[in-house]
Amino acid sequence: MTLRLQPVQVATGSYDVDGQLVFTNGFLAAVLVKLSGYHDDMAGMWFLEAGFGWVDTPTRPTFADLDAAQAWIEQQLAQAA
Amino acid sequence: MSSAPDLHAMNWLIRKLESIASLSEVERQAIESLPVRIHKLNVRQDIVRDGDKPSHCCLIIDGWACRYKLLSQGKRQILSFHIPGDILDLQSLHVPTMDYSLGTLTKATVAFIPHESLRKLTARHPGIAAILWRDTLIDAGIFREWLVSMGRRSAFEHVAHLFCELYLKLQAVGLAGNYRCSLPVTQADLADALGLTPVHINRVLQEMRGKTLITLRSSTLVIEAWNELLRVSEFDPTYLHLEKRATG
Repeated sequence: MTLRLQPVQVATGSYDVDGQLVFTNGFLAAVLVKLSGYHDDMAGMWFLEAGFGWVDTPTRPTFADLDAAQAWIEQQLAQAA
Repeated sequence: MSSAPDLHAMNWLIRKLESIASLSEVERQAIESLPVRIHKLNVRQDIVRDGDKPSHCCLIIDGWACRYKLLSQGKRQILSFHIPGDILDLQSLHVPTMDYSLGTLTKATVAFIPHESLRKLTARHPGIAAILWRDTLIDAGIFREWLVSMGRRSAFEHVAHLFCELYLKLQAVGLAGNYRCSLPVTQADLADALGLTPVHINRVLQEMRGKTLITLRSSTLVIEAWNELLRVSEFDPTYLHLEKRATG
């Protein structure tokens, strides 16, 4: 499974606006947003702003980098199989 | 460690109970005579676990604690916050098995009151029984209000509602005034209580600071715009059933 990322600006209503749309097989699976400096320890981490279907979990994880984020998303999607 | 009466510990309980009802002098003295075992606890220490069958009730004398439930993968839901004067598990008197856990959020001092002693007290003093019953009913009202917040308030409104509730509860037992209070909980604790993520909590706090509604620094909350916080969260204090205290 390969995920495709597309940069996007997200109107989160906060300073966290730099995002990535995450596609799987042409379907939007998730929206990731980079946490701004206001998040202290979490600044620079990627946050699961939105997830769809199997990626839509009540606990929204944060990831050290986009690789970790994609690995987690793939894991969630694999449950659907 | 044996149980003995502890005036200092019972004063907290009396203060809490008098914030929701009146106590007669006889009733006050009866509560003061309850035998207790005092324990000092660390931060994030479990007091009672989901599934336990405790033989005493736990009263907080110092520090903060919470009721919580844990699901798989460390998913925690904090069910309520508790401050000095609160008895965390009054229900265990009548419902023997805990369906939630109790843990400290800060270093804390607690007093364990044997069920046996509480049963004797309530049998001799039906007025006290009624007040303790009232306390559990108000607890339920707070859960209902949290349900509404969880389901229908935005993250911003939800945090605002919680701040109003905590301030009033602290003020009722003399732990807050002038719109300042201690708030020694982490953003992770707030997130687990409100069903939000720490990221959302952070964003809401930043927004509140930006609008000068609050300052929150070094575990001290200052509410700069009380009326605005009330308005935004549609806060109605009725559910707390706080009596006006005669001595202000």
